[in-house]
This record gives sequence, C-alpha cells and structure tokens, in this order.
Amino acid sequence: MTNPLHASYYADHALQATVSIVENRPVARDTFQLRFDCPELARRVLPGQFLMLRLAGASDPLIGRPLALYDTVLDAHGTPRGVDVMYLVKGNLTTNLCRLQPGQQLEIWGPLGNGFATPSAGHLIMVAGGIGQTPMLALARERLGLRCFGDPERVVSQAERVTLCYGARSADYLAGVEDFRETGAEVRLATDDGSRGHHGLVTELLRDILNEEGPAAEVVCCGPEPMMKAVSEVALEYDIRCQVSLETPMACGIGICFTCVAKVACEAGWDYQRTCVEGPVFDARQLVWD
Amino acid sequence: MSDHIATAQIDLGVSLGRLQLANPILVASGTFGYAREMEPFVDLGQLGGILPKTITLAPRPGNAPWRTVETASGLLNSIGLDNDGLDAFVAHHLPYLRALPAPVIVSIAGRSETEFVTLAEQLEQHGGVAAVELNISCPNVTGGVDYGTDPNRCGGVVQAVRNACSLPILAKLTPNVSRIADIAKAAADGGADALTLINTVLGMAVDWRGRRPLLGNVMGGLSGPAIKPIALRCVHQVAQAVDVPLVGVGGISNIDDVMEFIVAGASAVQIGTANYFDPSVSGKILKALPMAVQESGASRLSDIIGSLDITSADVASDSTDNR
Repeated sequence: MTNPLHASYYADHALQATVSIVENRPVARDTFQLRFDCPELARRVLPGQFLMLRLAGASDPLIGRPLALYDTVLDAHGTPRGVDVMYLVKGNLTTNLCRLQPGQQLEIWGPLGNGFATPSAGHLIMVAGGIGQTPMLALARERLGLRCFGDPERVVSQAERVTLCYGARSADYLAGVEDFRETGAEVRLATDDGSRGHHGLVTELLRDILNEEGPAAEVVCCGPEPMMKAVSEVALEYDIRCQVSLETPMACGIGICFTCVAKVACEAGWDYQRTCVEGPVFDARQLVWD
Repeated sequence: MSDHIATAQIDLGVSLGRLQLANPILVASGTFGYAREMEPFVDLGQLGGILPKTITLAPRPGNAPWRTVETASGLLNSIGLDNDGLDAFVAHHLPYLRALPAPVIVSIAGRSETEFVTLAEQLEQHGGVAAVELNISCPNVTGGVDYGTDPNRCGGVVQAVRNACSLPILAKLTPNVSRIADIAKAAADGGADALTLINTVLGMAVDWRGRRPLLGNVMGGLSGPAIKPIALRCVHQVAQAVDVPLVGVGGISNIDDVMEFIVAGASAVQIGTANYFDPSVSGKILKALPMAVQESGASRLSDIIGSLDITSADVASDSTDNR
C-alpha cells in the first residue's frame, strides 16, 4: 500500500486544454508524429511523463489514450511552446487521429505520471522496442545537456554517453532514428526480420554492449512487456539500475479508474499499483512480472 | 417568463431524504478516485456531493487485467472493487475528504449484512461522512449483485444498516434485473433515503481472432453514453413506483443529460465515466446548471424534478418491459 497522501503522487501540475494540431505526419509505417500547441504543458512536462489525448467532442472513440512526451518545441525566444508525441495507428482513436489536419482540435490533459528519475552520471543505455522509443528522445536531449525540462527547470547530471538500443518488427517501423542520432546518442538497431541492424532481439544488443564495454551506469527501458521483462532481467544480472516505463492500457490517466494496474512488490508479496499515478516509470526491481 | 429570473437566484438545492444538498451534481463512486486526484481539474468544494471509490471491510486487490475495454460510446470494466479496505480509507483518505466543504457520501460494499452494518457503523463513528451509499450492484465481485437482485435481501440489508446507524442511506441498484421497480420498492421499504440508479450494465467484449474475452474477468459492467437510455428508463420506471428521491447515473456527460434525468424523475445525478474522458466535466456541468434551470422556466430546480409529461406520448404503443 502506497501512502496516497504523498503529494508527488497526484497530477497537481496537470491541466486540461483544447489544443490545435500544428502538424500530424507519417514518420514510419503506421507511425505518426503529432505536434500541437500548448505552452503551459510544454513548459511543465518532464521526460517519461505522458498526456491523455482525445478527439474533441467525440463519443466514439470515447476514452482518451496515453501518449508519452516525444519532444517539446521551442519558440523563437527559446521558450517551450509545442509538444510532439508519436503514435502507432492500431485502434479506433489512432485511426481517426491520423486523418486529422493542422488546425483541427484535440482534448488533452497532462502532464501525467512520474517520468524518469534523474539518474546518475555515466553511460545511460536506453532500450526501446516497438513504439517504446517515444519517451526516450526527450530524456536523451536532457541527459546530453541539449534541453532543460520542467517548471522550474530541473537540474540533472549529464550523462557521459547515451546509447539507444532500438528494436522493431522490421526496418519500416523504425521511427525517429535520425532525431536520436542528431542528439549525439549512439544508436544501435535491431529488427525481428533482419531488414535493418541486428537480426534478432534488442536485449541481445544490450548484452553485447555490457559484455564488450562493462557495466553501464543505468538502463531505461520501454516497449512490449516480454521485452521489458527480459531487459529487466539482464539489468539485474549485471547489477545495473533499470527504470522501466510501462505501456499499460489506461482509461483516465489520472488515477481514478484503476484500469492500468501493474503488480508491484510489497511486504505481502505484491499489490496492484496504478501505472498512471504511481508510474509509468518503475524501478525494475519493484515489478513482479507474470 | 424565465427571463425574469437571474441565474444567480436559481435555487439548486435538493433533498435526498434526510440528506440536504446544495446542488444535485454528484460524482459517481469508482469514477472519481478518492477525490484528491481530481483537485487539479475540479473545484471539489462546489460539488453537490462526492462519492469516493467503494470501500470494503478488508483490502481487495481487484481483478486481473485487462480491467477495462472501450466499446461503442461506452466502457466495459471489471475492476473488481480494488481498494485497501476500511482502515486504510479511514487513515489515508477520510482526513482529506472530511476537510472538503462538499458532503461526502461513502460507497460501501459488504459480503454479508453484517459487513455492510460494520462499515456503516464505523464510518458514522469516525465522523465527517454525510451519508453512505450501499453498493449492492457491483457486477464484478462474487456475490456483488446478490443484494441488488433479490427484493427480500435488498430490503433486509437496507433495513439492517438503517437500524444500526443514523447516517442517511442511498441504495445503488443494478439494471441487470427484469423488474427494477420491485427491487426499488424493497429498498425504499427497508428505509433507504434515496435510490441511486443505475450501476453498470453487465456486458462482454470478445477478441474473436484470439478466441478470448478481452476482460480479465470475462464479463464486466458497461458504462458511458451507451447506457444513458437504459438509466433514463430505470429512473422513469422507478419514479412511478416509489416515493423516495432518486439519484440518476449512467452516461451523463453534459448539462442536457443532467436535465433529462431530472425531468425523468431524478432529484440528483452522478457524473461517472465522463470523469475519465473529461476530468473537468463536473465543474462545467455545475456552471451550466443555473442557466438550464432558468431555460426551463423554473426558479427552483426541485420544481422540475419528475416533470416529464407522458400524456403526449403514444402510450398505446408502450414498449416498456413492465409486463
């Protein structure tokens, strides 16, 4: 049982707003990058946090979808103004969303969730699978000293190095690889069919790095559950701290519906915790995988 | 005419038996967390009443994921009354809730009459609770609907709580019965101050390719705009059968929905699933309420409760299931 009186547990920095689409473009197979204008959110959001997004006024699709921060966009004065998210078209909402044009409106609420903890200095390895690279770009920018996040801006120790290990089904699903390269992060790719990068699993890329170069300071991970479980096990084996960002389905994003629960270790074994308010980022050692 | 009444002078107060509310806009149990979560989105003190998530005597982990599935204009859930139990509620949530200016109506669910009574008694002792709502209609727990589908058991549990504590009692009923008016009469006879209509409608979602149910608990309760016509029908039927005040709930997401329930016979309403997809909705509805009452021509909201005129409807082709 987590004490719910703890203030950081609540979305006290969140706001709800109707926002205009600035850009909504395909960046990979079934994958779109959406930009909307919302300075209040852009100023507050942290890497690893998410927002809920819904089509304005619609009752079908009814429920919002959680989308992780991909990046913020600065105005001419260097002030955060726009917010970029990335999504995979696979359901009712995203099928409708990908048809929307600049100027059309969306309902959003956020920023939500805890975001990535500010990790220790050293070599940060980010391991992503599927659309799970999304929350990594802002973190890479922050850890490489390229961008500050939060209001007030949070202070983080810079990473000596950032490596992204990014796996997808095939080359055409890889999205935003150039964005990561531009940050100066080292990018290693893997595909299930071998159409680009390593032919195999992203966890094999992680093992290779750890075997070749010794332990990293920290691993962060986001992607399909079996992959996150495997990455967590590798991190534990090498005794490296690992933050896992869960992609649990959510209905509200703000802790009121109890949909998005994950098994988290406690004295009695495990208890369900809400990914939206107690996560989505958990220390891998806390999680109990099925 | 209505334009003589300033919206500021509209009286929004309603009575639910022994419970007086400043306005009829409540939020439904299980859709508002423990209220603290909603502070960024809603001025909590303005609400007519707040119903935190149902509590049980002992902690319950709830059902296995998936716990919700979206369907056409609705949401199926099988959360399973995930809660940390009475003691944790009293320790962690009640101090915050008690300090809010809005009345707090605590939703309770027991596996037996004794558990319902214990929950109600203990809440009364701790103070700061305006009323209890008996959740005798949750479709997602074993035995959860037993008290809500059998008139004798329903009347019995309401009466037992009424005898044991002095808090006003709301009984929340399930639509998953053939004759909801019979259950409603039993709850009213047992001493309920008001009846909350309706809990979720039992439903299911299937992944045919995977040959599997989408909910971890196979079946679940449907909520959201999809069930509003069912909820309105229940309010209408029960309003004709009993004299106790009704609290309408089911698919309410805007001011027109609220007014439909009031006119159909509800003295108050609860906003439920809409809190999920529009967290600030309850405040928006509250703001729009005086204008809507003004538009109706009344100066008091209570004057239009149950003002539905069915004489103009073609009653010969009555298609209700009240046979």
